[in-house]
Amino acid sequence: MRLPDRVTGLFLVGLGAAAAYGGWQLPPVPGQPVGPNVFPLVIGTGLALCGLAIAFGIGHSFEEEEELIPVEGDQPKPAPPGRFYGLRALLPPALLLFYVAVADRLGFIITAALIVFVTSTALGARWKLSLPLAVLAPIGVHLIFSKLLRVPLPIGLLPMPW
Amino acid sequence: MLKTLIDAFALISTWEVIIAMFAASVYGLVIGSLPGLSATMATALLVPVTFYLSPIAAIATIVAASTMAIFSGDIPGALLRIPGTPASAAYADEAYAMTRKGEAELALGAGVWFSAVGGIAGTLSLMILAPPLAEIALSFSTFEYFWLALLGLMCATLVARSSPVKAIASMFIGLLVACIGIENPGGVPRFTFGITDLFGGIEPIPALVGVFAVAQVMRAMLTPEPPPIPKRKFGSIMAGQWRLTKKYHWQMTRGNIIGIIIGVLPGAGADMAAWVSYAMSKRFSKEPEKFGTGHVEGLVEAGASNNASIASGWVPSLLFGIPGDTIAAIAIGVLYMKGLNPGPTLFTEKASSMYAIYLMFIIANIIMIPLGIIMIRLASHVLRAPRSSIMPVIMLCCAVGSFAIGNNMFGVVTVATFGIIGYVMEENGYPVAAMVLGIVMGTMIEQSFVTSLIKSDGSIFPFFERPIAAILAAMAIGALIWPLLIWVWRKARGTAPAGASAR
Repeated sequence: MRLPDRVTGLFLVGLGAAAAYGGWQLPPVPGQPVGPNVFPLVIGTGLALCGLAIAFGIGHSFEEEEELIPVEGDQPKPAPPGRFYGLRALLPPALLLFYVAVADRLGFIITAALIVFVTSTALGARWKLSLPLAVLAPIGVHLIFSKLLRVPLPIGLLPMPW
Repeated sequence: MLKTLIDAFALISTWEVIIAMFAASVYGLVIGSLPGLSATMATALLVPVTFYLSPIAAIATIVAASTMAIFSGDIPGALLRIPGTPASAAYADEAYAMTRKGEAELALGAGVWFSAVGGIAGTLSLMILAPPLAEIALSFSTFEYFWLALLGLMCATLVARSSPVKAIASMFIGLLVACIGIENPGGVPRFTFGITDLFGGIEPIPALVGVFAVAQVMRAMLTPEPPPIPKRKFGSIMAGQWRLTKKYHWQMTRGNIIGIIIGVLPGAGADMAAWVSYAMSKRFSKEPEKFGTGHVEGLVEAGASNNASIASGWVPSLLFGIPGDTIAAIAIGVLYMKGLNPGPTLFTEKASSMYAIYLMFIIANIIMIPLGIIMIRLASHVLRAPRSSIMPVIMLCCAVGSFAIGNNMFGVVTVATFGIIGYVMEENGYPVAAMVLGIVMGTMIEQSFVTSLIKSDGSIFPFFERPIAAILAAMAIGALIWPLLIWVWRKARGTAPAGASAR
């Protein structure tokens, strides 16, 4: 997801302009010189200016390249360069949204088990590790959060005995 | 004074506090030592747990976990050359070189010993600096608060290792996020797009968890797993530390002082303290040629420095509600939640709670020595846990923890969204810590800004009229425009030095 500075800069210009316009639209407080509109206007303008500066490369020379510490010995194979390989990064947030969508119906234990199984498999675990983990981790987390800390976790299809 | 101290002792000598502190210490040591899980993430994931604790116990967990995590990041740094937390990155090479020379015990011992010393020095600075500053702060009006908060945000951009313009942009994004909701001078829904869940605004904690924890799991999806640690037995860990303390007492003191100063600057924090101190150590060393070959001197100074910054980062947090670093930003959230609203009056009205915080810092740094030694001995077992078994549990904690903050699913959506935002920003060189500070401080800045404008009837001149306000204003504006000035200056001279440093 590495984008050219020009792209991120122009995106910020757009975001800043939208924020300033949104602020402009807000109703003022009668009889008061400043209201809820001033702050978004200031921020939006600032953001748009920063975006312009970034798009034109101002300040770029300050950036330090990240120092990668090479690992000695057997290097793990670099990622297979598939076209959609980068999309794997979206898996964690997608799983969280999946949790929001189904947790109330399926219940915490089942949803959590699915999330754990998918995440650990995606990170390269064999089923010998990911299956027991998918069973034990949700129970452990449920025990801590629901039993000890009294967070009302959705019960769904599989209620826990405690 | 004595009575306050006794009261403070009574506050922390309950079973709840003792157990909370011990458990949080073990937790901090484990999370900090696992590569990829930072001290900030450890603290953020702890917040839902603090809901259910008494105020003092809640703060005890934050203090203990953050102190331990900053130290234990040294362990995989020394053994694997992979720093557990960014704060250990500065000297991971050096510590690993020592391990390869067969001096792993000395490197790790120096880590735990000088971290403890640094932590205690930082606590002393908190005890000495905070009360007189609170006296001054009592005379501050909204004008001073506005400039101070702005200066705090600017510090975060000054010390960022990326382009200062990008850091300022990150800060603006954070402030923009803070605009969301109906908590504004007009009490009208702002940037809510008709979504009821957005009326309450974006809570800083789910945003933090998303930016620091979910984004990390996202990165793990694309990076290869680090190699497992070789099994080994350790000799005596503390042997030779006293000799080092005597030999390098000046380096240790300098590390402490730098750590304290960087900690007090809002937004800088332990990572920066370690980098600056390590560089200082090399610069002023009598034997700079030994650096990089497994030389303990830099470890002494940087190890002392990063832990000192943790405690001193609480100075601006407790006084002004301006966080010294991202961990302190979380701490502020917890303080507010527990009715210990940051501000100068905290030192007069809740003095015993303040002393309890000092005591907890000192205790945390003392118990770090035995617990740290145990952790080092167990490290080969803990560090063998594969990433594919830890990251899924982190994901569960993100989901449940963010749900627990408001008992609604919107928190989970926030975490997921900020995971994506944090990931994209980090990939493109926008420092996420600056955005987090923006979110945390947005409401405060807007309030002091708008109240000041109302008081001055819309005129901006009173912002510069009071002496302290004028000084703070000059500093904040200077911080805002310096990258532009340097850029213009370089253009005028026609030079653009390659690899120029922002520090």
